[in-house]
Amino acid sequence: MNLTIFRFYPDLMNLYGSYANVSVLSRLLERLGHAVEVRDVAPGDAAGLADADFLYMGAGTERRQQFALADFRRFADDARAAANDGLPMLFAGTAMELLGESVTDANGNTVSGIGLAPFQTVQRARRIVGDVYGRTELFPEAVVGFMNKCGVISGVDSPLLDALDMGFGNDAEHAPEGWHSANVYASELTGPLLVKNPKLLEHVAGALLTRKGLTIPDEWPVDVWARQGYDVTARELAARRDKA
Amino acid sequence: MRKLLAILACKVGYFVGKLVGKGSSLPGKLALQLCPDILSRVQLPPTVIAVSGSNGKTSTVEMIAAILRADGRKVIYNKEGSNQTEGVATLILTNASLSGKVRADVLLMESDERYAARTFQYFRPTHFVVTNLYRDQLTRNGHPESVYDALRPALLPETELVLNADDPLSSCFGLDRDNVTWFGLERCAYSVPSPTGVYHDGAHCPVCGGAMEYDYVHYNHIGAWRCTSCGRARPATQYAATALDLRKGLLTIDGTVNIELAFRSIYNVYNILAAYAVCRRCGVSAGTAAGVIGNYVLKNDRMQTFRLGAHHGTLLTSKHENSIAYDTNLRYVQDCGTECVVVVIVDAVSRKYFTSETSWLWDIDFDHLDSPNVKRVILSGRYCNDLAERFAYSVLPAEKWEVVEGIPAAVETLKASGSEEIYVLTCFSDRDKFLTLTEREA
Repeated sequence: MNLTIFRFYPDLMNLYGSYANVSVLSRLLERLGHAVEVRDVAPGDAAGLADADFLYMGAGTERRQQFALADFRRFADDARAAANDGLPMLFAGTAMELLGESVTDANGNTVSGIGLAPFQTVQRARRIVGDVYGRTELFPEAVVGFMNKCGVISGVDSPLLDALDMGFGNDAEHAPEGWHSANVYASELTGPLLVKNPKLLEHVAGALLTRKGLTIPDEWPVDVWARQGYDVTARELAARRDKA
Repeated sequence: MRKLLAILACKVGYFVGKLVGKGSSLPGKLALQLCPDILSRVQLPPTVIAVSGSNGKTSTVEMIAAILRADGRKVIYNKEGSNQTEGVATLILTNASLSGKVRADVLLMESDERYAARTFQYFRPTHFVVTNLYRDQLTRNGHPESVYDALRPALLPETELVLNADDPLSSCFGLDRDNVTWFGLERCAYSVPSPTGVYHDGAHCPVCGGAMEYDYVHYNHIGAWRCTSCGRARPATQYAATALDLRKGLLTIDGTVNIELAFRSIYNVYNILAAYAVCRRCGVSAGTAAGVIGNYVLKNDRMQTFRLGAHHGTLLTSKHENSIAYDTNLRYVQDCGTECVVVVIVDAVSRKYFTSETSWLWDIDFDHLDSPNVKRVILSGRYCNDLAERFAYSVLPAEKWEVVEGIPAAVETLKASGSEEIYVLTCFSDRDKFLTLTEREA
């Protein structure tokens, strides 16, 4: 099967190795025998979301996030309709903030988001950084990563991660993190998120396959390095948490 | 009285610190506690130079000091690299008389980007050099634009700026002011038509977000840029490298000043240009500056040589969390053409703080190692799996790289076979874990 991933603003929104989320998703799908096309969308580019099997946007600086949002507004109606229709999508890093109702920058200026999700982001001058260790209802394994943002997100009704063991969540230390509704996944975690968490990668890939009417494999192909890398990070972070 | 006490405390603290081998920021910290505005109460030399930026600070400062000393000036600088406010206080107060007069012609400081605004609320540099601004230690710095925002208040209107015309981001410091001296590297044999590397921070204008065009690029997005939307473009330079031959090790500045390079890297050329430009602005002649830089061997110990079994090796210190520092050394290995085995070690991400953050590995252009002279690559350290995962997405064929988790085991593997040159790429945090298992060369 030919699968198409739309990658929004690959240059503007590509901090913290964001592009690698798409690299690992593509390779996993290819290992299952599918042909994957990654279609990059730059500001101003024409793009019909009807052709997409997956939407992706990564992390950007606060200025670049505003440039991205200014362009992404033209996709707002289509993106909301696609989300209602079950199109899988991942908004990683500061891209998450664009999904909400509004983004207020550190100077107090507020702009509206695309209104796909019911939350609001208020950015502050001081950055929020640190390792993250948390849990999701989607699978039993812990989720690991790193937080590097300045936005405090309130009004999240359905977080991706439950209360964190370690790290700053949407609006407070140890609070729930990210947003998840149907096939839309959003998280400020870097890592990159799908590289550091092979289980989340499988889950997201599974959402894509299911929507296309494709079978989810009984046994996912194993990426030894990713799995061992996850084990080391999860062990290191758990030890750190237990010491605290 | 508090001033005298602070100066005394700093001097005594520094002396005691030297005896017990302690760092150089503690005495300054003590002095600042005793007299918080001590730095605005000392009498500074007529020339005060600050150097900041993501890469090249230490090397640039070292060359500036050497040039100004050759010009007959007494220069003091923080050669131990303590570049936060406390370290700068130690530097100034240990070199001050008890009445607070700094005994030097030039105060020269490497300044941490994020602490510069705090340091320079007490006194003003006459010259401020910014080498560049790009992705560096993002766990601490956020991202390049947050560093830009943090550094901007330190660049006071009366301070003359010495800026890199080829860097679209740090060149923004020159917007709306005219006391700026620009340096840059003109089109040369190493120019490529468009930005390189795995991420493209120079694809969009940092001011308006418009698409950028490049006439040529020297590395990443450092080159001749122009915004197609707001029209901002690489400024005209006052000091430019007009010819460069890395193979012969020859650099020409402004068409007439010829310099032989001890370290043949394009990144080093930028450090030389920054040092040359600020020294010329301080009244040093072209001949004096060129005479010092020619064949100048940096004293900072970023390169260390060793022997291991039948191998000779060089450790190229590459700051973890700084993709361009890695790219610099990867490109060096590629360009040197020497048949070699390369070892990349990520064991502790930082020596100062704990983190398991490895996303920066995805910002490094490991494809440089897909070069005929690189025979084998060994990945080692606690985060070797993250490295391996990154390599699995590089263009290197899988048979070219292998994973040996333990650093001692990697050393044994190397010792057991071959005699080619070894290049080790790792950070301050990890390098001694390797070097102590080898025979060090002086």
